[in-house]
Amino acid sequence: MELLGLVNYALFTAIFIAIYALLALGLNIQWGFAGLFNAGIAGFFAVGAYTSAVLSTPADDGRLGGFDLHFVIGWIGAMLAAALVAWPIGKICLRFRSDYLAIASIGVAEIIRLVIKSEEVLTNGARGINGIPRPAGDIGYTESQIAYLVIVLAVLIVAYVLVERQFNAPWGRMMRAIRDNEHAAKAMGKDVEFRRLEAFIFGAALMGLGGALFAHFNRSITPEAIDPMVATFLVWIMLILGGSGNNRGAILGAAVVWIIWSVSEIATDRLPHEYAIQAKYIRLFLIGLMLQLVLRFRPEGLLPEPLRGDLRGSRRTTKSGADHT
Amino acid sequence: MKTKILALAAGLMAATALASVPAQADVKIGLLGGVSGPIAAMAPAMVDAAQLAVQQVNEQGGIGDGEKLVGVLGDSACNPQNGTDAATKAVNIEGVSGIVGPHCSGAVLAAAGSVTIPAGIVMITPSGTSPEITGLDDKGTVFRTVPSDDYQGRALARTLKEQGYGKVAVAYLNNDYGTGLANAFKAEYADALGGEITQFAAHEEGKASYRSNLAELAKGGADTLVIFDYGDGTGLTILRQALENGFFEKFVGGDGMKSDAVINELGAENLVSFVASSPVGEKSESLDMFNEAFKGVGGDPDAIFATTSYDAAFLMALALEKAGGKKEGVAAAMLEVSNGTGEAIRPGEWKKAKELIAAGTAIDYKGAAGDHNFDANGDVPGTYALWEVGSSGYEVIMEMK
Repeated sequence: MELLGLVNYALFTAIFIAIYALLALGLNIQWGFAGLFNAGIAGFFAVGAYTSAVLSTPADDGRLGGFDLHFVIGWIGAMLAAALVAWPIGKICLRFRSDYLAIASIGVAEIIRLVIKSEEVLTNGARGINGIPRPAGDIGYTESQIAYLVIVLAVLIVAYVLVERQFNAPWGRMMRAIRDNEHAAKAMGKDVEFRRLEAFIFGAALMGLGGALFAHFNRSITPEAIDPMVATFLVWIMLILGGSGNNRGAILGAAVVWIIWSVSEIATDRLPHEYAIQAKYIRLFLIGLMLQLVLRFRPEGLLPEPLRGDLRGSRRTTKSGADHT
Repeated sequence: MKTKILALAAGLMAATALASVPAQADVKIGLLGGVSGPIAAMAPAMVDAAQLAVQQVNEQGGIGDGEKLVGVLGDSACNPQNGTDAATKAVNIEGVSGIVGPHCSGAVLAAAGSVTIPAGIVMITPSGTSPEITGLDDKGTVFRTVPSDDYQGRALARTLKEQGYGKVAVAYLNNDYGTGLANAFKAEYADALGGEITQFAAHEEGKASYRSNLAELAKGGADTLVIFDYGDGTGLTILRQALENGFFEKFVGGDGMKSDAVINELGAENLVSFVASSPVGEKSESLDMFNEAFKGVGGDPDAIFATTSYDAAFLMALALEKAGGKKEGVAAAMLEVSNGTGEAIRPGEWKKAKELIAAGTAIDYKGAAGDHNFDANGDVPGTYALWEVGSSGYEVIMEMK
């Protein structure tokens, strides 16, 4: 019983980490590759979650749909919808640089949140959408968690492989060139604005997929889930801590931050009873402290971006190895 | 450097994991509340009220053979992410037999959908008012001690129609509370009873002026404004500006509007045409007993949802006792301990309840927030009355059906 409880908790934590890892990967495309400061992750997360919910739930009079489609169609729809929403936003906002883009994207996420909360015909308003089917959700508690973890991990691995390929491909090098020196990239004939938009849309699609996975896991999505603290800033902390520009770093960051975020509550619960309420605030403090420490002592993150210097280093070893033969 | 950091992170995680050593003999219930997040100001009083019930149980003999009841606090932060995380920890790490909470409807729905329903743990929320909770496919495991917004909205609509109100305009706060009430009101007043709603509009909270909203609302020629909002917040601003500018003649509010702040700020003489609906049970013996006990531990009995939180925790304890401490039987037991038949149990009467349960007598908990009496969906009907402003505060005009 005791062991089963730990297993269940570990499964739940792994599912959450995988979902957050998808969000962090999406942000890595935008910030790590292209240097776009998107502070509106929650918005794309919400678009994906609600799109998939509308597509896959049974018909309901009060709102748009549901269309009762297979969940896979819902997830693909979530990516497409998030990408479609990102396109005009990127078209307008990507003319801004760094801080200004961050401010604009916070505003965009807030607009999306208010639209979702207010447009009842679209999203059932503040009540949210319930009864979203969860794949393999009708078998026992532990079994259904295992099944969902397998699905989420498969999605994450596919996403990781594809993003990693792009990172090492000429496209990835070009994105980093644009990020590091926009004018030089432009002088080389790269269409900077179009490429930025590309990265923004790809990243948003992954965030939308993360939102869809989240909604199906909980079988419900409400506007309360579009909280910037847990849907935007927590993802930023994950990427910065894990190492922006490094896909494995993004996944590792998601794991480390979520584990500390979640497990720290178990630890703070050991404080004396009269501090039970105050102990909850320590968690928030811990996350902030962690970000400060990382930024101070290891600004490149746990797994830094593999730079050209590393590549040259590895090439030199192979070359010298070749010399010996 | 890299390995050092990794080792440090791993060490931290191991330390926190090892720190959790579960105790065995106690019966645990999870108290999930929005300690951080948007309702952080309300949550501590609610948690304290629930802890009061736990304390009373332990002072009067504990659960079963004198086992200690322990309330394990979890932070649901009023969002689904933390709500499901806290519920998973309560169920799997702490091994709770039931959950009181979470506080916000979104967290309730998510935690029920992904944790408690699959795990077969009973959940009773003191403040999740969303009508969506009624329709959950929960195998009878989700309860609440606060009425769904649906009940009050419909009851208010019927009462207004009876009282001869004509054209009305509806202004509601854009959150699950305001939206839920307003939609239920609209469904009953306009669709079922054939009344006329000239304008139906949501507003965001915290603006300095709502005059443009009010001008828009007044356009349809209604003489009555129905406000679903909080009387110590935005609702007060709307009511004041509507009175100042003479947009409407009569005003109607939901339970959120029945706040003393309205009388203190606007003056009773200006509120002759203002009525509000609110749960009765306001002046019951049970409530007095709770108020006294809660003051005794330094709590503020007027804090919002304190009574429902206390009742939720006390009902959970009663159901656990009835089920013999086994979590499988809690759902069925919950329906038996508050269904209107049996010996009345009031707040704090744990010893009496324990003896009656041991003797096999049916009991009926009459709580601080009302008589409860769960229906098949685990909802409580709630008894409402219409109130007007008299010389000494709010006075009941009539009960609402």
